[in-house]
Amino acid sequence: MEFAITLTLIIFLFALLGSGLWIGLALLGVGWLGMELFSARPAGDAMAVTIWGSASSWTLTALPMFLWMGEILFRTKLSEDMFKGLAPWLEKLPGRLLHTNVIGCTIFAAVSGSSAATCATIGKITLPELAKRGYPEAITVGTLAGAGTLGLLIPPSIIMIVYGVAAEVSIAKLFIGGVLPGLMLAGLFMGWIIVWALANPGAIPPITEKTTLGQKLYASRNLIPIVMLIAVVLGSIYIGVATATEAAALGVVGSLVLAAFQQSLNWGTFRESLMGATRLYCMIALILAGSSFLTLSMGYLGLPRQLAEWIGGLGLTPFWLLFGLMWFYIILGCFLDGISMVVLTIGVIQPTITAAGIDPVWFGIFLVVVVEMAQITPPVGFNLFVLQGMTNRQITWIAKTAMPAFLLMVGAVGLLYAFPGLVTWLPQRMVG
Amino acid sequence: MRRTLDVIYSAAAWAAALFMIGTLGMILLSVLGRLLDFHVRGTDAYAGYCMASAAFLALAHTLKRGEHIRVTLFLDRLGAKGNRALEIWSHGTGALLAGLLAWFAARLVWQSFQFHDISQGNDATPLWIPQLGMVIGAVVFLIALVEDFVTVLRGGQLRHRAPDAEPVRSE
Repeated sequence: MEFAITLTLIIFLFALLGSGLWIGLALLGVGWLGMELFSARPAGDAMAVTIWGSASSWTLTALPMFLWMGEILFRTKLSEDMFKGLAPWLEKLPGRLLHTNVIGCTIFAAVSGSSAATCATIGKITLPELAKRGYPEAITVGTLAGAGTLGLLIPPSIIMIVYGVAAEVSIAKLFIGGVLPGLMLAGLFMGWIIVWALANPGAIPPITEKTTLGQKLYASRNLIPIVMLIAVVLGSIYIGVATATEAAALGVVGSLVLAAFQQSLNWGTFRESLMGATRLYCMIALILAGSSFLTLSMGYLGLPRQLAEWIGGLGLTPFWLLFGLMWFYIILGCFLDGISMVVLTIGVIQPTITAAGIDPVWFGIFLVVVVEMAQITPPVGFNLFVLQGMTNRQITWIAKTAMPAFLLMVGAVGLLYAFPGLVTWLPQRMVG
Repeated sequence: MRRTLDVIYSAAAWAAALFMIGTLGMILLSVLGRLLDFHVRGTDAYAGYCMASAAFLALAHTLKRGEHIRVTLFLDRLGAKGNRALEIWSHGTGALLAGLLAWFAARLVWQSFQFHDISQGNDATPLWIPQLGMVIGAVVFLIALVEDFVTVLRGGQLRHRAPDAEPVRSE
């Protein structure tokens, strides 16, 4: 009987999602059906109270603020400045300016919570600049698609906020836990470029502008604004003077100041960034509203407990459990966006994770890397959509160029499993 | 008719944007309060209320800009006929669910008002006041979905996907 209920709801959920119903409303609908049909509690009142509670929760306020910050920075000249500051340093490295994709995304990820925003902001400058210098398009797009996903792993991170709220894990700890894995993944991407450049000599165009050390140092002044912004946002979290929410609000103010200094702040850009952020937040909030009610409804049906007991009965080791989950999320990620994926599954899967003795912060980072993979797997992947808009290429072509990045992320998950300290070491040393 | 509705959607969107600024203001106020050693009661709770109102009031506007995500895999691959059938189904179901949301949100506010439900935080706000944003937003969302439902039923074109449509930068 219980199995039949679960199966009915899952089929119903996928039918609703597949039929093109907005994801948030689909979650709401399944939650409603589950509660109305299989429990005694009146669904409507429970729905309103739950949605109100989750929509007005203080922890979540970090989310709209980080979205707004990203929208402001997207409209500044920050990415141009970063390109100018980074490019002179990369003359000697095999792959040269291709590294601006990875390093640019890594640095920008430290002020942006979203993978697609990172990809769009950095790509806005590197795609035309690299094309102008004759870099092959495939490797430029592929490395950008991969490196853009660092926006999720390197804090601040929208998906970490969503996970932290859903799983009741400290968002500040998740943020700090993402730093080392993010740098590790950036290193892997740079290694990929170096190997590629060495294997394809002649594919990288010759150096056009030579610079002296003095010129390099002078060009680096362009990086000062973003470094200061990173210090304000991440520094304040790490040394414990600000919560994630407060750091986000300071980040919004800092971005506005930065935009004003660059003279890219006017009524038009302010309004666009504000409305853009409001719509983005609203889109996510509808999903969160639907999922909060679905999670409640699933809890009433005892689904998470049953799943935990069932998986516990299989006697899987944590390795095989995580291995299975990774493939489950990769497949799910082909059809769903990362946020929907996390909120849809976390309420059900969490008891299983706890029972298996897996650290919730570590699991959060694991989940983020897997969601990153989802960003570059077709047919649904937000980075692919962004790059499709910027290059006018087919999604499948872009996905193919990003395939090595996908494989490197699978490798990164393996490394995180082998060396869990990569995630847990830094948060343990946080102040406060 | 359409003009009036558009005014309603944008008015709600502007209100939502103001509530975004309100959220920022409340968080900054609490930061400032800690730095300068003064205390404003309930800033945390107010930030949450502002955020909730921002989300709900923007629902219709976001729908009209085609930025609420849905799985378009099958919608895009079906022919014109199948696409229209699926659009009618998803708009109909969507309107129905938005109706449930609006109705029960309104009921919640009414109950909060009747039973003098007060926030358990230190702001002690009567909850029906911040919850109004949720109801108004849900009702405007319902209106927008019903409008689109009627449009697809009549075989008209939806105005989603504005000409300047750029990919959403959500994650």
